[in-house]
Amino acid sequence: MDRSVAPMKGPPADRRGSLFFSRSLGDHCVHMGVELEGLTPKAIPGQFFLIRERGVLDPLLGRPLALVASKGNVLEFLFRISGRGTARLASLPPGAALELRGPCGNGFPEPVGDELVLVAGTLGIAPFIGISSFSSEKVRITAVLGVPGKGWEKFVEWCLERFPGIRINSDDGSIGRHGDPVEDTLSFVGQGHEVWGCGPEAMLRGLGRVHEKGCEKLLVSLEKRMACGTGGCLGCSIRTGSGMKRVCVDGPVFEWREVFGGAHGK
Amino acid sequence: MESSLRTNVGGVNLETPVIVASGVWPMDPRLWPAGSMEGVGAVCSKGMTFEPREGNRGFRIMETYAGILNSIGLQNYGVEHFIAKELPLLDNSCRPVIVNIAFETLEDLRRILERLKVCRSMVGVVEMNVSCPNVSRGGLSWGVHTESLGNAVSMARQVWEGPLWVKLSPQVPSMGEFARLSQECGAQAVVVGNTWLGMAIDNDLERPFFENVFAGLSGPAIFPLALRAVWEAAGAVNIPVIGCGGIARPGDALSMILAGASAVEVGTALFIDSGLPASICRELEANLTKKGLASVRELVGRARNDQGENGEKSR
Repeated sequence: MDRSVAPMKGPPADRRGSLFFSRSLGDHCVHMGVELEGLTPKAIPGQFFLIRERGVLDPLLGRPLALVASKGNVLEFLFRISGRGTARLASLPPGAALELRGPCGNGFPEPVGDELVLVAGTLGIAPFIGISSFSSEKVRITAVLGVPGKGWEKFVEWCLERFPGIRINSDDGSIGRHGDPVEDTLSFVGQGHEVWGCGPEAMLRGLGRVHEKGCEKLLVSLEKRMACGTGGCLGCSIRTGSGMKRVCVDGPVFEWREVFGGAHGK
Repeated sequence: MESSLRTNVGGVNLETPVIVASGVWPMDPRLWPAGSMEGVGAVCSKGMTFEPREGNRGFRIMETYAGILNSIGLQNYGVEHFIAKELPLLDNSCRPVIVNIAFETLEDLRRILERLKVCRSMVGVVEMNVSCPNVSRGGLSWGVHTESLGNAVSMARQVWEGPLWVKLSPQVPSMGEFARLSQECGAQAVVVGNTWLGMAIDNDLERPFFENVFAGLSGPAIFPLALRAVWEAAGAVNIPVIGCGGIARPGDALSMILAGASAVEVGTALFIDSGLPASICRELEANLTKKGLASVRELVGRARNDQGENGEKSR
Protein backbone atom coordinates (compact mmCIF):
# COMPACT_ATOMS: atom_id res chain seq x y z
CA MET A 1 0.00 0.00 0.00
CA ASP A 2 1.38 3.34 -1.02
CA ARG A 3 0.83 5.77 1.79
CA SER A 4 1.49 9.20 0.45
CA VAL A 5 0.38 10.48 3.83
CA ALA A 6 2.70 9.65 6.69
CA PRO A 7 1.30 8.49 10.03
CA MET A 8 0.65 11.28 12.48
CA LYS A 9 3.39 11.47 15.11
CA GLY A 10 2.93 12.71 18.63
CA PRO A 11 -0.19 13.86 20.43
CA PRO A 12 -3.20 15.56 18.86
CA ALA A 13 -3.46 19.33 18.90
CA ASP A 14 -6.34 21.78 19.16
CA ARG A 15 -6.82 23.56 15.87
CA ARG A 16 -9.01 26.29 14.46
CA GLY A 17 -10.92 25.97 11.24
CA SER A 18 -14.06 27.03 9.46
CA LEU A 19 -16.82 25.23 7.64
CA PHE A 20 -15.84 25.02 3.99
CA PHE A 21 -18.85 23.09 2.71
CA SER A 22 -21.69 20.99 4.04
CA ARG A 23 -24.01 18.95 1.88
CA SER A 24 -26.79 16.51 2.67
CA LEU A 25 -26.45 12.96 1.42
CA GLY A 26 -30.04 12.18 2.39
CA ASP A 27 -31.51 10.51 5.48
CA HIS A 28 -29.68 12.79 7.91
CA CYS A 29 -26.24 12.03 6.42
CA VAL A 30 -23.92 14.98 5.94
CA HIS A 31 -20.66 15.36 4.01
CA MET A 32 -18.68 18.21 5.55
CA GLY A 33 -15.46 19.99 4.60
CA VAL A 34 -13.47 21.96 7.16
CA GLU A 35 -10.80 24.43 6.15
CA LEU A 36 -7.99 24.50 8.70
CA GLU A 37 -6.00 27.53 9.76
CA GLY A 38 -2.27 26.89 9.78
CA LEU A 39 -0.52 23.69 8.88
CA THR A 40 -2.61 20.70 7.89
CA PRO A 41 -1.78 17.74 10.10
CA LYS A 42 -0.84 14.44 8.59
CA ALA A 43 -3.30 11.70 9.40
CA ILE A 44 -3.94 8.11 8.37
CA PRO A 45 -7.23 6.35 7.61
CA GLY A 46 -9.01 5.40 10.81
CA GLN A 47 -7.85 8.43 12.76
CA PHE A 48 -10.48 10.95 13.80
CA PHE A 49 -11.01 14.52 14.96
CA LEU A 50 -13.23 15.93 17.69
CA ILE A 51 -15.13 18.75 16.02
CA ARG A 52 -17.25 21.49 17.58
CA GLU A 53 -18.50 24.99 16.97
CA ARG A 54 -15.91 27.44 18.26
CA GLY A 55 -16.83 29.67 21.20
CA VAL A 56 -19.99 27.73 22.05
CA LEU A 57 -20.32 26.03 25.43
CA ASP A 58 -23.59 24.24 24.67
CA PRO A 59 -23.34 21.71 23.13
CA LEU A 60 -20.03 21.35 24.89
CA LEU A 61 -18.04 18.45 23.52
CA GLY A 62 -16.48 17.90 20.14
CA ARG A 63 -18.02 15.13 18.07
CA PRO A 64 -15.58 12.37 17.09
CA LEU A 65 -15.67 12.12 13.30
CA ALA A 66 -13.45 9.86 11.19
CA LEU A 67 -11.34 11.61 8.63
CA VAL A 68 -12.62 10.82 5.12
CA ALA A 69 -10.11 12.70 3.03
CA SER A 70 -7.64 15.56 3.16
CA LYS A 71 -7.19 17.90 0.20
CA GLY A 72 -4.86 20.82 0.75
CA ASN A 73 -5.95 22.39 4.01
CA VAL A 74 -9.51 21.06 3.75
CA LEU A 75 -10.41 17.99 5.80
CA GLU A 76 -13.51 16.03 4.85
CA PHE A 77 -15.83 14.20 7.21
CA LEU A 78 -19.08 12.25 7.12
CA PHE A 79 -21.61 12.23 9.91
CA ARG A 80 -25.22 11.36 10.63
CA ILE A 81 -27.44 13.76 12.55
CA SER A 82 -28.13 11.82 15.74
CA GLY A 83 -28.34 14.41 18.51
CA ARG A 84 -27.89 18.04 19.48
CA GLY A 85 -24.23 18.28 18.56
CA THR A 86 -24.46 16.80 15.09
CA ALA A 87 -27.70 18.72 14.42
CA ARG A 88 -25.87 21.91 15.29
CA LEU A 89 -22.92 21.03 13.04
CA ALA A 90 -25.30 20.27 10.18
CA SER A 91 -27.08 23.61 10.55
CA LEU A 92 -23.96 25.79 10.37
CA PRO A 93 -23.43 28.05 7.35
CA PRO A 94 -20.19 28.03 5.33
CA GLY A 95 -17.53 30.05 7.10
CA ALA A 96 -18.77 29.11 10.59
CA ALA A 97 -15.93 29.00 13.13
CA LEU A 98 -14.98 25.51 14.24
CA GLU A 99 -12.52 23.89 16.64
CA LEU A 100 -10.91 20.54 15.97
CA ARG A 101 -8.83 18.29 18.22
CA GLY A 102 -6.79 15.74 16.37
CA PRO A 103 -5.72 13.67 14.65
CA CYS A 104 -6.73 11.24 17.41
CA GLY A 105 -6.39 7.49 17.64
CA ASN A 106 -4.18 4.86 16.06
CA GLY A 107 -5.71 4.44 12.58
CA PHE A 108 -5.38 1.38 10.40
CA PRO A 109 -1.91 -0.14 9.97
CA GLU A 110 -0.39 -1.36 6.72
CA PRO A 111 -2.19 -4.52 5.56
CA VAL A 112 -0.22 -7.69 6.02
CA GLY A 113 -1.22 -9.41 2.80
CA ASP A 114 -2.17 -8.36 -0.70
CA GLU A 115 -5.94 -9.00 -0.49
CA LEU A 116 -7.78 -6.45 1.63
CA VAL A 117 -11.53 -6.55 2.27
CA LEU A 118 -13.22 -3.44 3.72
CA VAL A 119 -16.64 -3.98 5.29
CA ALA A 120 -18.70 -0.89 6.16
CA GLY A 121 -22.07 -0.40 7.76
CA THR A 122 -23.55 2.89 6.49
CA LEU A 123 -21.27 5.77 7.59
CA GLY A 124 -18.66 3.23 8.63
CA ILE A 125 -17.40 3.76 5.10
CA ALA A 126 -15.80 7.04 6.24
CA PRO A 127 -12.29 5.82 7.14
CA PHE A 128 -12.19 3.54 4.10
CA ILE A 129 -12.63 6.28 1.51
CA GLY A 130 -9.03 7.36 2.09
CA ILE A 131 -7.83 3.79 1.77
CA SER A 132 -9.29 3.54 -1.74
CA SER A 133 -6.95 6.27 -2.91
CA PHE A 134 -3.98 4.75 -1.09
CA SER A 135 -4.36 1.39 -2.78
CA SER A 136 -1.80 0.26 -5.25
CA GLU A 137 -1.34 -2.64 -7.62
CA LYS A 138 0.28 -4.48 -4.77
CA VAL A 139 -2.86 -4.56 -2.64
CA ARG A 140 -6.18 -5.63 -4.13
CA ILE A 141 -9.08 -4.04 -2.30
CA THR A 142 -12.69 -5.25 -2.22
CA ALA A 143 -15.18 -3.02 -0.43
CA VAL A 144 -18.57 -4.07 0.95
CA LEU A 145 -21.25 -1.65 2.10
CA GLY A 146 -24.49 -2.21 3.97
CA VAL A 147 -27.32 0.33 4.17
CA PRO A 148 -30.95 0.13 5.37
CA GLY A 149 -32.26 0.76 1.85
CA LYS A 150 -34.89 3.28 0.72
CA GLY A 151 -33.76 6.83 1.38
CA TRP A 152 -30.06 5.94 1.13
CA GLU A 153 -29.76 6.24 -2.66
CA LYS A 154 -27.87 9.53 -2.56
CA PHE A 155 -25.44 8.22 0.03
CA VAL A 156 -24.81 5.05 -1.99
CA GLU A 157 -24.26 7.13 -5.12
CA TRP A 158 -21.70 9.21 -3.20
CA CYS A 159 -19.91 6.03 -2.07
CA LEU A 160 -19.87 4.61 -5.61
CA GLU A 161 -18.27 7.80 -6.94
CA ARG A 162 -15.43 7.43 -4.46
CA PHE A 163 -15.25 3.66 -4.41
CA PRO A 164 -16.17 2.28 -7.86
CA GLY A 165 -16.95 -1.41 -7.64
CA ILE A 166 -18.05 -1.33 -4.02
CA ARG A 167 -20.48 -4.18 -3.26
CA ILE A 168 -23.80 -2.69 -2.13
CA ASN A 169 -26.18 -4.47 0.25
CA SER A 170 -29.45 -3.18 1.63
CA ASP A 171 -31.71 -4.52 4.35
CA ASP A 172 -34.87 -3.94 2.29
CA GLY A 173 -33.38 -5.00 -1.04
CA SER A 174 -34.12 -1.65 -2.67
CA ILE A 175 -30.45 -0.89 -3.42
CA GLY A 176 -27.97 -3.51 -4.57
CA ARG A 177 -28.09 -6.97 -3.07
CA HIS A 178 -30.81 -7.83 -0.55
CA GLY A 179 -28.99 -8.74 2.64
CA ASP A 180 -26.39 -7.60 5.08
CA PRO A 181 -22.72 -6.85 4.43
CA VAL A 182 -21.47 -9.62 6.73
CA GLU A 183 -23.25 -12.36 4.79
CA ASP A 184 -22.02 -10.84 1.56
CA THR A 185 -18.46 -10.82 2.88
CA LEU A 186 -18.70 -14.42 4.01
CA SER A 187 -19.76 -15.40 0.50
CA PHE A 188 -16.36 -14.67 -0.98
CA VAL A 189 -13.63 -14.34 1.66
CA GLY A 190 -11.13 -17.03 2.43
CA GLN A 191 -7.60 -17.71 3.49
CA GLY A 192 -5.27 -14.86 2.62
CA HIS A 193 -7.91 -12.15 2.91
CA GLU A 194 -7.33 -9.47 5.49
CA VAL A 195 -10.64 -7.95 6.64
CA TRP A 196 -11.24 -4.52 8.15
CA GLY A 197 -14.65 -3.49 9.49
CA CYS A 198 -16.27 -0.24 10.54
CA GLY A 199 -19.91 0.17 11.45
CA PRO A 200 -22.49 -0.76 14.10
CA GLU A 201 -21.23 -2.99 16.91
CA ALA A 202 -23.61 -5.83 15.99
CA MET A 203 -22.16 -5.89 12.47
CA LEU A 204 -18.59 -5.85 13.75
CA ARG A 205 -19.34 -8.64 16.20
CA GLY A 206 -20.89 -10.73 13.41
CA LEU A 207 -17.89 -10.11 11.20
CA GLY A 208 -15.94 -12.46 13.47
CA ARG A 209 -17.35 -15.32 11.37
CA VAL A 210 -14.75 -14.56 8.70
CA HIS A 211 -12.32 -16.39 10.98
CA GLU A 212 -14.25 -19.59 10.20
CA LYS A 213 -13.54 -18.93 6.53
CA GLY A 214 -9.81 -18.94 7.13
CA CYS A 215 -9.28 -15.17 7.42
CA GLU A 216 -6.69 -14.68 10.12
CA LYS A 217 -6.41 -10.91 10.25
CA LEU A 218 -9.59 -9.03 11.19
CA LEU A 219 -9.43 -5.43 12.36
CA VAL A 220 -12.42 -3.40 13.53
CA SER A 221 -12.82 0.31 14.17
CA LEU A 222 -15.00 1.01 17.22
CA GLU A 223 -17.26 3.91 18.09
CA LYS A 224 -17.72 5.06 21.67
CA ARG A 225 -18.96 8.10 23.50
CA MET A 226 -15.88 10.11 24.41
CA ALA A 227 -14.89 13.45 25.87
CA CYS A 228 -11.16 14.23 25.88
CA GLY A 229 -9.83 12.31 22.87
CA THR A 230 -6.45 12.02 24.57
CA GLY A 231 -6.84 9.01 26.85
CA GLY A 232 -7.36 11.01 30.03
CA CYS A 233 -11.01 10.93 30.98
CA LEU A 234 -11.47 7.17 30.48
CA GLY A 235 -15.01 7.78 29.26
CA CYS A 236 -14.43 5.49 26.26
CA SER A 237 -12.74 2.60 28.10
CA ILE A 238 -13.56 -0.94 27.05
CA ARG A 239 -12.71 -4.33 28.52
CA THR A 240 -10.49 -6.38 26.22
CA GLY A 241 -8.53 -9.59 26.29
CA SER A 242 -5.49 -7.55 27.24
CA GLY A 243 -7.09 -5.42 29.93
CA MET A 244 -8.85 -2.06 29.86
CA LYS A 245 -8.27 -0.08 26.66
CA ARG A 246 -9.17 3.46 25.64
CA VAL A 247 -10.90 3.64 22.27
CA CYS A 248 -9.59 7.18 21.72
CA VAL A 249 -5.86 6.42 22.01
CA ASP A 250 -5.40 2.63 22.10
CA GLY A 251 -7.96 2.41 19.25
CA PRO A 252 -10.28 3.04 17.58
CA VAL A 253 -8.79 0.21 15.51
CA PHE A 254 -8.45 -3.10 17.35
CA GLU A 255 -7.92 -6.74 16.52
CA TRP A 256 -11.40 -8.32 16.51
CA ARG A 257 -10.31 -11.08 18.90
CA GLU A 258 -9.03 -8.51 21.38
CA VAL A 259 -12.44 -6.86 21.80
CA PHE A 260 -15.00 -9.53 20.88
CA GLY A 261 -13.15 -12.80 21.44
CA GLY A 262 -13.14 -14.57 24.82
CA ALA A 263 -15.19 -13.90 27.95
CA HIS A 264 -14.61 -10.12 27.97
CA GLY A 265 -16.28 -9.73 24.57
CA LYS A 266 -19.58 -11.36 25.52
CA MET B 1 5.24 32.96 32.93
CA GLU B 2 5.36 36.31 34.69
CA SER B 3 6.64 36.27 38.25
CA SER B 4 3.45 38.13 39.20
CA LEU B 5 1.61 34.81 38.89
CA ARG B 6 3.96 32.87 41.19
CA THR B 7 2.35 31.79 44.38
CA ASN B 8 2.52 29.32 47.24
CA VAL B 9 -0.59 27.33 47.93
CA GLY B 10 -1.03 24.77 50.67
CA GLY B 11 2.66 23.90 51.01
CA VAL B 12 3.71 23.95 47.37
CA ASN B 13 5.24 26.63 45.15
CA LEU B 14 3.42 27.20 41.87
CA GLU B 15 4.64 29.14 38.85
CA THR B 16 1.01 29.97 38.11
CA PRO B 17 -2.21 29.48 40.09
CA VAL B 18 -3.73 27.28 37.36
CA ILE B 19 -3.82 23.56 38.05
CA VAL B 20 -5.00 20.76 35.75
CA ALA B 21 -7.67 18.91 37.73
CA SER B 22 -7.69 15.17 38.30
CA GLY B 23 -9.08 12.97 35.54
CA VAL B 24 -8.44 15.27 32.60
CA TRP B 25 -5.12 14.38 30.98
CA PRO B 26 -3.73 10.85 30.93
CA MET B 27 -0.86 9.85 33.21
CA ASP B 28 1.53 9.89 30.25
CA PRO B 29 2.43 13.49 29.31
CA ARG B 30 3.39 12.31 25.83
CA LEU B 31 -0.35 12.03 25.13
CA TRP B 32 -1.19 15.57 26.28
CA PRO B 33 -2.26 17.88 23.44
CA ALA B 34 0.51 19.94 21.93
CA GLY B 35 1.00 23.20 23.82
CA SER B 36 -1.37 22.26 26.63
CA MET B 37 1.18 22.86 29.42
CA GLU B 38 1.58 26.57 28.78
CA GLY B 39 0.33 28.43 31.83
CA VAL B 40 -0.08 25.29 33.93
CA GLY B 41 1.26 25.55 37.48
CA ALA B 42 0.67 21.95 38.57
CA VAL B 43 -0.96 18.75 37.37
CA CYS B 44 -3.27 16.46 39.34
CA SER B 45 -2.97 12.76 38.65
CA LYS B 46 -5.99 10.61 37.85
CA GLY B 47 -7.70 9.30 41.00
CA MET B 48 -5.71 6.36 42.36
CA THR B 49 -6.73 3.62 44.78
CA PHE B 50 -4.70 1.02 46.67
CA GLU B 51 -5.84 -1.88 44.50
CA PRO B 52 -6.39 -1.67 40.73
CA ARG B 53 -9.95 -0.92 39.65
CA GLU B 54 -11.55 -1.51 36.25
CA GLY B 55 -14.11 1.21 36.79
CA ASN B 56 -17.82 1.21 36.08
CA ARG B 57 -19.65 -0.80 33.47
CA GLY B 58 -22.19 0.61 31.06
CA PHE B 59 -22.13 4.13 29.73
CA ARG B 60 -19.55 6.35 31.38
CA ILE B 61 -20.24 9.79 30.01
CA MET B 62 -23.20 11.74 28.77
CA GLU B 63 -23.31 15.31 27.59
CA THR B 64 -25.84 17.55 29.32
CA TYR B 65 -26.70 21.19 28.74
CA ALA B 66 -23.29 22.91 28.93
CA GLY B 67 -21.90 20.03 30.95
CA ILE B 68 -21.04 16.36 31.24
CA LEU B 69 -22.28 13.61 33.52
CA ASN B 70 -19.56 11.05 34.19
CA SER B 71 -19.55 7.68 35.86
CA ILE B 72 -16.00 6.46 35.33
CA GLY B 73 -15.69 4.65 38.64
CA LEU B 74 -12.06 5.39 39.50
CA GLN B 75 -10.55 3.17 36.84
CA ASN B 76 -6.84 2.94 37.69
CA TYR B 77 -4.00 0.46 38.01
CA GLY B 78 -3.47 0.85 41.75
CA VAL B 79 -0.76 2.45 43.87
CA GLU B 80 2.11 0.09 42.99
CA HIS B 81 1.70 0.66 39.26
CA PHE B 82 1.30 4.38 39.88
CA ILE B 83 4.59 4.59 41.75
CA ALA B 84 6.52 2.40 39.32
CA LYS B 85 5.14 3.55 35.98
CA GLU B 86 2.97 6.65 36.14
CA LEU B 87 4.44 8.98 38.73
CA PRO B 88 7.87 9.08 37.03
CA LEU B 89 6.14 10.08 33.77
CA LEU B 90 4.13 12.81 35.48
CA ASP B 91 7.31 13.99 37.16
CA ASN B 92 8.66 14.68 33.66
CA SER B 93 6.07 17.43 33.28
CA CYS B 94 8.45 19.61 35.34
CA ARG B 95 5.58 20.81 37.48
CA PRO B 96 4.46 19.79 40.95
CA VAL B 97 2.41 16.60 40.78
CA ILE B 98 -0.76 16.69 42.86
CA VAL B 99 -1.41 13.03 43.63
CA ASN B 100 -5.15 12.45 43.83
CA ILE B 101 -6.05 9.48 46.04
CA ALA B 102 -9.32 7.68 46.71
CA PHE B 103 -10.05 5.07 49.37
CA GLU B 104 -12.90 2.93 50.61
CA THR B 105 -11.46 2.24 54.07
CA LEU B 106 -9.14 4.05 56.47
CA GLU B 107 -6.76 1.13 56.14
CA ASP B 108 -6.61 1.69 52.35
CA LEU B 109 -5.88 5.36 52.97
CA ARG B 110 -3.07 4.52 55.38
CA ARG B 111 -1.54 1.96 53.01
CA ILE B 112 -1.61 4.33 50.02
CA LEU B 113 0.11 7.08 52.00
CA GLU B 114 2.71 4.69 53.41
CA ARG B 115 3.56 3.61 49.87
CA LEU B 116 3.76 7.20 48.62
CA LYS B 117 6.41 7.92 51.24
CA VAL B 118 8.90 5.91 49.19
CA CYS B 119 8.62 8.41 46.34
CA ARG B 120 8.12 11.52 48.45
CA SER B 121 10.38 13.66 46.25
CA MET B 122 8.07 13.21 43.25
CA VAL B 123 4.86 13.93 45.17
CA GLY B 124 4.14 17.64 45.27
CA VAL B 125 0.91 17.30 47.20
CA VAL B 126 -1.49 14.57 48.25
CA GLU B 127 -5.04 15.54 47.27
CA MET B 128 -7.65 13.46 49.11
CA ASN B 129 -10.75 12.70 47.08
CA VAL B 130 -13.39 12.41 49.78
CA SER B 131 -16.26 11.95 47.34
CA CYS B 132 -15.49 8.23 47.10
CA PRO B 133 -17.67 5.83 49.12
CA ASN B 134 -16.88 4.90 52.72
CA VAL B 135 -17.51 1.15 52.93
CA SER B 136 -18.03 1.24 56.69
CA ARG B 137 -20.90 3.68 56.19
CA GLY B 138 -22.67 1.62 53.57
CA GLY B 139 -21.01 3.38 50.67
CA LEU B 140 -21.95 6.92 51.70
CA SER B 141 -19.31 9.38 50.56
CA TRP B 142 -16.56 10.15 53.14
CA GLY B 143 -16.97 13.82 52.51
CA VAL B 144 -20.65 14.26 53.40
CA HIS B 145 -20.44 13.26 57.06
CA THR B 146 -18.38 15.24 59.56
CA GLU B 147 -17.24 12.23 61.58
CA SER B 148 -15.99 10.21 58.59
CA LEU B 149 -14.38 13.26 56.98
CA GLY B 150 -12.66 14.15 60.24
CA ASN B 151 -11.41 10.59 60.74
CA ALA B 152 -10.02 10.38 57.22
CA VAL B 153 -8.25 13.73 57.21
CA SER B 154 -6.82 13.15 60.71
CA MET B 155 -5.52 9.73 59.70
CA ALA B 156 -3.94 11.15 56.55
CA ARG B 157 -2.31 13.94 58.54
CA GLN B 158 -0.78 11.43 60.94
CA VAL B 159 0.72 9.30 58.19
CA TRP B 160 1.62 11.87 55.52
CA GLU B 161 4.04 14.63 56.43
CA GLY B 162 4.04 16.36 53.06
CA PRO B 163 1.52 18.88 51.74
CA LEU B 164 -2.04 17.63 52.17
CA TRP B 165 -5.12 18.99 50.39
CA VAL B 166 -8.70 17.83 50.74
CA LYS B 167 -10.91 17.92 47.65
CA LEU B 168 -14.30 18.45 49.22
CA SER B 169 -17.57 17.04 48.01
CA PRO B 170 -20.16 19.65 47.05
CA GLN B 171 -22.86 17.33 48.42
CA VAL B 172 -22.61 18.86 51.90
CA PRO B 173 -25.11 20.96 53.83
CA SER B 174 -22.49 23.61 54.64
CA MET B 175 -19.31 24.02 52.63
CA GLY B 176 -17.94 26.37 55.27
CA GLU B 177 -18.37 23.79 58.04
CA PHE B 178 -16.70 20.97 56.08
CA ALA B 179 -13.86 23.22 54.95
CA ARG B 180 -13.25 24.34 58.54
CA LEU B 181 -13.29 20.72 59.74
CA SER B 182 -10.67 19.81 57.12
CA GLN B 183 -8.49 22.68 58.33
CA GLU B 184 -8.85 21.62 61.97
CA CYS B 185 -7.83 18.06 61.06
CA GLY B 186 -4.65 19.17 59.35
CA ALA B 187 -5.41 19.93 55.71
CA GLN B 188 -3.15 22.62 54.27
CA ALA B 189 -5.68 23.60 51.58
CA VAL B 190 -9.17 22.65 50.51
CA VAL B 191 -10.18 22.12 46.92
CA VAL B 192 -13.76 23.30 46.44
CA GLY B 193 -15.11 21.12 45.04
CA ASN B 194 -15.73 17.97 43.06
CA THR B 195 -18.48 17.00 40.58
CA TRP B 196 -22.11 17.49 41.60
CA LEU B 197 -24.26 14.39 41.79
CA GLY B 198 -26.82 14.21 39.03
CA MET B 199 -28.48 11.58 36.91
CA ALA B 200 -30.12 10.92 33.57
CA ILE B 201 -33.00 8.70 32.50
CA ASP B 202 -33.16 6.78 29.24
CA ASN B 203 -36.74 7.63 28.31
CA ASP B 204 -36.97 4.89 25.68
CA LEU B 205 -35.77 2.13 27.99
CA GLU B 206 -37.46 3.74 31.01
CA ARG B 207 -34.50 3.26 33.30
CA PRO B 208 -31.49 5.23 34.57
CA PHE B 209 -28.91 5.93 31.89
CA PHE B 210 -25.95 5.01 34.13
CA GLU B 211 -25.54 1.62 35.78
CA ASN B 212 -24.65 3.36 39.05
CA VAL B 213 -27.79 5.52 38.64
CA PHE B 214 -26.08 8.72 39.85
CA ALA B 215 -23.21 10.38 38.03
CA GLY B 216 -21.00 13.43 38.54
CA LEU B 217 -21.92 16.66 36.76
CA SER B 218 -19.11 18.94 35.60
CA GLY B 219 -18.58 21.68 33.06
CA PRO B 220 -19.73 25.27 32.69
CA ALA B 221 -23.24 24.36 33.87
CA ILE B 222 -21.99 24.08 37.47
CA PHE B 223 -19.80 27.18 37.59
CA PRO B 224 -22.21 29.42 39.58
CA LEU B 225 -22.71 26.60 42.12
CA ALA B 226 -18.97 26.08 42.51
CA LEU B 227 -18.35 29.82 42.83
CA ARG B 228 -20.84 30.02 45.67
CA ALA B 229 -19.17 27.07 47.37
CA VAL B 230 -15.76 28.75 47.06
CA TRP B 231 -17.18 31.91 48.56
CA GLU B 232 -18.56 30.00 51.54
CA ALA B 233 -15.37 28.01 52.12
CA ALA B 234 -13.09 31.03 51.81
CA GLY B 235 -15.15 32.81 54.43
CA ALA B 236 -14.73 29.93 56.87
CA VAL B 237 -11.03 28.98 56.78
CA ASN B 238 -7.55 30.49 57.03
CA ILE B 239 -5.91 27.88 54.78
CA PRO B 240 -5.98 28.43 51.01
CA VAL B 241 -9.05 27.50 49.01
CA ILE B 242 -8.56 26.13 45.51
CA GLY B 243 -11.53 26.83 43.28
CA CYS B 244 -12.67 23.96 41.11
CA GLY B 245 -15.86 23.51 39.15
CA GLY B 246 -17.05 24.66 35.76
CA ILE B 247 -14.29 27.13 34.90
CA ALA B 248 -14.55 27.46 31.13
CA ARG B 249 -13.44 31.01 30.38
CA PRO B 250 -10.56 33.12 31.72
CA GLY B 251 -13.01 35.41 33.51
CA ASP B 252 -14.39 32.44 35.47
CA ALA B 253 -10.96 31.81 37.00
CA LEU B 254 -10.64 35.49 37.91
CA SER B 255 -14.07 35.35 39.57
CA MET B 256 -13.01 32.34 41.64
CA ILE B 257 -9.88 34.17 42.79
CA LEU B 258 -11.77 37.37 43.59
CA ALA B 259 -14.21 35.23 45.60
CA GLY B 260 -11.34 33.94 47.73
CA ALA B 261 -9.60 31.14 45.84
CA SER B 262 -5.80 31.18 45.97
CA ALA B 263 -5.58 28.98 42.87
CA VAL B 264 -7.94 27.23 40.52
CA GLU B 265 -8.27 23.76 39.06
CA VAL B 266 -9.59 23.42 35.52
CA GLY B 267 -11.02 20.19 34.22
CA THR B 268 -13.87 19.62 31.81
CA ALA B 269 -13.17 22.77 29.78
CA LEU B 270 -9.79 21.30 28.81
CA PHE B 271 -11.70 18.68 26.84
CA ILE B 272 -12.56 21.46 24.40
CA ASP B 273 -9.77 24.00 24.93
CA SER B 274 -6.32 22.79 25.93
CA GLY B 275 -5.11 26.40 25.74
CA LEU B 276 -7.35 27.56 28.60
CA PRO B 277 -4.59 27.68 31.28
CA ALA B 278 -2.54 30.03 29.11
CA SER B 279 -5.64 32.18 28.45
CA ILE B 280 -6.35 32.36 32.19
CA CYS B 281 -2.79 33.48 32.89
CA ARG B 282 -3.04 36.24 30.29
CA GLU B 283 -6.32 37.38 31.82
CA LEU B 284 -4.82 37.47 35.31
CA GLU B 285 -1.74 39.37 34.16
CA ALA B 286 -3.89 41.91 32.33
CA ASN B 287 -6.05 42.33 35.40
CA LEU B 288 -3.01 42.91 37.63
CA THR B 289 -1.66 45.50 35.20
CA LYS B 290 -5.01 47.26 35.00
CA LYS B 291 -5.22 47.51 38.77
CA GLY B 292 -1.53 48.29 39.29
CA LEU B 293 -1.00 45.19 41.42
CA ALA B 294 2.23 43.22 41.63
CA SER B 295 1.06 39.72 42.50
CA VAL B 296 -1.90 37.45 41.90
CA ARG B 297 -1.97 36.97 45.67
CA GLU B 298 -3.31 40.51 45.93
CA LEU B 299 -6.35 39.53 43.87
CA VAL B 300 -7.39 36.75 46.24
CA GLY B 301 -10.68 37.58 47.91
CA ARG B 302 -10.89 41.18 46.67
CA ALA B 303 -14.60 40.74 45.98
CA ARG B 304 -15.06 40.15 49.71
CA ASN B 305 -13.34 43.28 50.91
CA ASP B 306 -16.43 45.29 51.63
CA GLN B 307 -18.73 42.43 52.45
CA GLY B 308 -20.51 42.00 55.72
CA GLU B 309 -20.20 38.79 57.71
CA ASN B 310 -23.31 37.34 56.09
CA GLY B 311 -21.95 37.99 52.61
CA GLU B 312 -24.23 40.95 51.94
CA LYS B 313 -22.69 43.99 50.32
CA SER B 314 -22.40 46.75 52.91
CA ARG B 315 -23.28 50.02 51.28
